[in-house]
Amino acid sequence: MHIPDGFLDAKTSVATYIASAGTVGYALYKAKEELDEKKIPVLGITAAFIFAAQMLNFPVAGGTSGHFLGAILAMTLLGPYSGFLVMSVVLLVQCLFFADGGLTALGANIFNMGIIGGFLSFYLLTLVKKPLGRFGERKSLLFSAALFSWFSIIIASAACAIELAISKTVSFGIVLPAMVGVHSIIGIGEAIITVIVLTVVIEVRPDLVASFKSAPSLPYGGEGVV
Amino acid sequence: MKHDFIDRYSRLESPVHSIEPRAKALAIFALIVICVSTPPQAWWCFLVYVGILAVIATASRVPFSYLLSRALVVLPFILTVAVFTPFTKSGEIVLRVGFLKISKEGLIILWNAAVKSLISVTALIILSSTTPFPDLMRALERLKFPKFFTTVASFMYRYVFIIVDEAERMKLARDSRNFRGRWIWQAKTVGHMIASLFIRSHMRGERVYQAMCSRGFEGSFPRWNDPEMRLADVLFLALVTLAALSARVSLLWH
Repeated sequence: MHIPDGFLDAKTSVATYIASAGTVGYALYKAKEELDEKKIPVLGITAAFIFAAQMLNFPVAGGTSGHFLGAILAMTLLGPYSGFLVMSVVLLVQCLFFADGGLTALGANIFNMGIIGGFLSFYLLTLVKKPLGRFGERKSLLFSAALFSWFSIIIASAACAIELAISKTVSFGIVLPAMVGVHSIIGIGEAIITVIVLTVVIEVRPDLVASFKSAPSLPYGGEGVV
Repeated sequence: MKHDFIDRYSRLESPVHSIEPRAKALAIFALIVICVSTPPQAWWCFLVYVGILAVIATASRVPFSYLLSRALVVLPFILTVAVFTPFTKSGEIVLRVGFLKISKEGLIILWNAAVKSLISVTALIILSSTTPFPDLMRALERLKFPKFFTTVASFMYRYVFIIVDEAERMKLARDSRNFRGRWIWQAKTVGHMIASLFIRSHMRGERVYQAMCSRGFEGSFPRWNDPEMRLADVLFLALVTLAALSARVSLLWH
């Protein structure tokens, strides 16, 4: 889903760059409220974690493997603004050092995977989570995380297809169903992984899950558990 | 373990490696933007861009085979376009294979995406193979990139080896217990691995943070001996940009 250079036309590149730059600016401003600015080492190591986690391919069915995007997971664990910024850093590094996603398409890639697949999906997640609160916070969080990590993959791939179609690189009627079809299957894997990871982290270190408010404050030093 | 998998070859010695990182990054970024904005029919413009990259790549002593193998990451994307576009775009038909019609417009779109993405990807790989990660991040910071980004990315670079090693160890332990990774219900194992990887990474981050605080860390790294722009660096930036621009601008007279 990382769009390379040359696949987008000028207007799409510029428009998504402006949207992404604006969102990054706003998130930088808001992240200062979300966490102590000095905690940058923790965010850096979490970015390294997302990198490593994307290397652990998960099985889809009979040999093909999908790999893991993690925007919803990052936002649930770190809070939306820090999660978005960590994802943006990962996309920047993938672009500059792994040639995964183009330089002129970086705005579009942050837009698809950080804003549409990230912020928008996370906002919908919080909307759905609230009325489910009577089933207990753990269940409502896990259910809405499952739903919207699946949704985030699909909506991000749809955004990617729409941008490619607007740029006239591919025709809309073909690429949209193809992208959405494939990613609605990949999204199932993403949802399963997200739920399992959240279940374990809530079990072991609930204080590390930013979206899990009813976490008991653990004394530091649960290190023996993992 | 794999200490150079992010910026492999970036610590060689060559004229390209010694160019000031800001000048190098700006030159490569300019080349990519100029290349992407070129209309696809101007095929000889792309020859000029390839020529510029070939000169830089030769001078840098980074093996060509390495550059090519890394550039292939864009192939799946090009193939996607190749499968759909030439057959479905309406327009002048240049070739018929059975019931399939290949249109000229479709082929131009395919050529456009393929040539631009390959040139840009090669340019970025040359940049990252001739500039160590911390130097490039410092250069971006001096070019007024948000400090938050460069600092988080620098930490990522310092710790990604450890975390990846940790992930590899888990994978080894998992596979030695007969995990085949074939069916979706085995996702539970991968989920548990990712979860414990996250918790371990986070705990490591907290420990590192506390250790750094106790040594006087205040949110950013102290910097010294930043390289200055020399005449040669300015010349490199000017040459690359002008060569690419002149090819691009000469189109206006055709």
